[in-house]
Amino acid sequence: MTVQINFDSSWQDEMAVRIENDGPWGNWELYKLAIEIEKHTIIPEFEGLQAPVHLPELTPLPHQLEVAKQVVENMNGKAILADEVGLGKTIEAGLILKEYMIRGLVKKVLILVPASLVSQWAMELNTKFHIPAIAQKKSYVWEQCDVVVSSIDTAKRAPHRDIINNLNYDLIIIDEAHKLKNNKTKNYEFVQNLKKRFCLLLTATPIQNRIEEIFNLVSLLKPGHLGSESAFFDKYKKDSRSVNDDEHLRELVNKVMIRNRRSDTGIEWTKRQVETLPIEFSKEERALYDSIQALRSSESGLASSQFSLMTLQREACSSREAVFYTLRNMLQRQENPSVGFQNTIAQLIKRVEAVTKNSKAEKALELIKQINDKVIIFTEYRATQLYLQWFLKQNGITSVPFRGGFKRGKKDWMRELFQKNVQVLIATEAGGEGINLQFCSHIINFDLPWNPMRLEQRIGRIHRLGQEKDVKIYNFATKGTVEEHVLKLLYEKINLFEKVIGELDDILTKLEFGNIEDHLVDIFGKSSSEGEMKIKMENLTSMIQFAEEMKEDKPRAATGNP
Amino acid sequence: MQQQEIHNFLERYFTANNCDVIENNKGYMTVQLTVELDKELMNRPFYWHYLEKTGGVPNPMKLTFITNKQQAPDNVKGEVIHFGSPRLHQIFQSTKNLAGFIRLYENNQFRTQTPLIPWIGLNIKISYQCDRKRDVFQSIGLQLINGRMVEDFHDKLLRLPLKSNIPDYAYTLSPLIKPKSGVNRIQSFLTAGIEQEDQAWAEEARKRWKKDLDLLHHFYEDEEEKSESFETEKKALQEQYEPKINITIINGGVFYLTEGAL
Repeated sequence: MTVQINFDSSWQDEMAVRIENDGPWGNWELYKLAIEIEKHTIIPEFEGLQAPVHLPELTPLPHQLEVAKQVVENMNGKAILADEVGLGKTIEAGLILKEYMIRGLVKKVLILVPASLVSQWAMELNTKFHIPAIAQKKSYVWEQCDVVVSSIDTAKRAPHRDIINNLNYDLIIIDEAHKLKNNKTKNYEFVQNLKKRFCLLLTATPIQNRIEEIFNLVSLLKPGHLGSESAFFDKYKKDSRSVNDDEHLRELVNKVMIRNRRSDTGIEWTKRQVETLPIEFSKEERALYDSIQALRSSESGLASSQFSLMTLQREACSSREAVFYTLRNMLQRQENPSVGFQNTIAQLIKRVEAVTKNSKAEKALELIKQINDKVIIFTEYRATQLYLQWFLKQNGITSVPFRGGFKRGKKDWMRELFQKNVQVLIATEAGGEGINLQFCSHIINFDLPWNPMRLEQRIGRIHRLGQEKDVKIYNFATKGTVEEHVLKLLYEKINLFEKVIGELDDILTKLEFGNIEDHLVDIFGKSSSEGEMKIKMENLTSMIQFAEEMKEDKPRAATGNP
Repeated sequence: MQQQEIHNFLERYFTANNCDVIENNKGYMTVQLTVELDKELMNRPFYWHYLEKTGGVPNPMKLTFITNKQQAPDNVKGEVIHFGSPRLHQIFQSTKNLAGFIRLYENNQFRTQTPLIPWIGLNIKISYQCDRKRDVFQSIGLQLINGRMVEDFHDKLLRLPLKSNIPDYAYTLSPLIKPKSGVNRIQSFLTAGIEQEDQAWAEEARKRWKKDLDLLHHFYEDEEEKSESFETEKKALQEQYEPKINITIINGGVFYLTEGAL
């Protein structure tokens, strides 16, 4: 079969006219420039990317280049990028965007990301890719700027929505796209109505092998490609998870989705070294903890709220300040506190006041001095955070606080202070805020979150691409408390700490038994005896282990291309 | 193209178009556009139309380009130019528009009457296109008296002293081959060459096309009447995969050269 050859004859016709009219003729310098440009913009091979050549100061990792190449060469710019957390999806998206801009295929771009990441995206595109992306602030930006970064919540509101719907985009990038897997939501409808040529959906949460989710996401990328919704669901049962069993569906998924796992990337990850440091309560601390414990069976007003008691106990393992703060709040929240309630609180406050030292803080101080390098301390409680800052200062250790609630600018500033001037960063919230602290390799978990994902995020702040040293994680667990149980039974048995980020993610979503934290509150709060609690914990552990085994047995649709 | 190359390119483009480069420092530059270049780049036809109707004083714009944000001082406001930015694409396009056709004479300080022989020179881009793309640059010259063809014509021209008007003591010979048929000869030469080439790339593209099409059919196989969206998707696949070759002329012109020049 021969290939059709088109010869553009417009030049020839125009040349004839110019010869006839004796000009006008171009300028030799511009003529030469035009050829120089052409040689720069030519695409010399069918395969390969142009962008890296023009970005000398960026060194993308092999898997990131591969993703960009796949999307440009094989997926026609319509793809779900579903790499595990921390593998650099932003870099991949930036490379693809740059590539299309260089090829002159993309001019008008809309990037929808979570509100907290808007300025970071804009900054990364500007500094790493020389792409003048603008963080949307005023409504005229939509029309006037070519590359706009915004949150989906802003974009879908009036008056922005109407302006955006009238624009034709060459490329749309959506971060955290797993939020779009339900086609009944306003967000889905909004994205569906955008006029676009190319589209990248970024998600860290793996797309489950549910037919419905796949249908919805693919329909965003390629509307109409799967036929009508009803016909599709007649063929493939809506809730079925049989993507693996159907060759066509598997082919489809491979056609639109790329998922790199940490293990696929071939990057040498530094190790995680985990050390659990048992902490012995002082006599006064123990008394405080036990007096809260005693309230569970008592008739006081507090017993009715298992959750508050649980919180108080956990706080008692952290700092007396945290307990005090909560007690004060509990009292203030009640409009007409009964005398009994007031008495109970007053008694507890007395116990708080009796505490003279914080055993954990002293251990932390000793450890920080011994490490003699940058350390991040994570605590669940603001009051503990404030106390630690004061305590470290008393002992000549410099520190800065870090909270999820800080404005972007303040976060950046704290990060910089930590990097350049101070030894310790005390953080309450690891949150998916995308702050990267890989210049530090020591974490102290002053107290443990009960939600394992939060713990993953804590560690993920430093154990990510760019970390050059092994990461050391110190877990503080007070002996003879709930803390010790959680650490032993759950974290040690499921080897959470040795796992790499993302694995747990998979396991938990597969499990679908809800929040681990809720289970723990239930177990510790409702168990009437130590024995019952142990049994329940073991049940939970084996459920998680079961899910892990399931995962290992079954390869999933999206693991690489066959 | 690195940022410094972009900076140099902009400088050459504006200088060649007779614009004053008012400021030219590390990381940024400011240029005063001429009326012609304002019309070329700024896309404000109403302003120029109005001005010409009312006979007002033309006020072409000043533009500042930032070619390196780190080097430019913070107080400099301007357009950030990067490889891939729409403004740079526009200027690239403009360069090609402004220099699409040329006529030049070899200038060798002739002492005696010297004949100059006419050539037609074409700079050509051949694009092999399917779901992927590859370009080949070719520069071909054809002597318009004896029909001799020369490759890498542009690079050879770069070594010659050339000017836009006829030098003293030089006279031009009339072409025996018309420029138009010269272009046609070059076209047939290229086409013949392409037909000799290996077409595996096109075969591969057709295979990928078929695979995608099969998948599409599969999702629609239960529909008796194929819906409109099926046809749309099918057409989209054709546009994406169908192999074709496009030959475009980037620029070219007539060159009068001495006999031994090439």
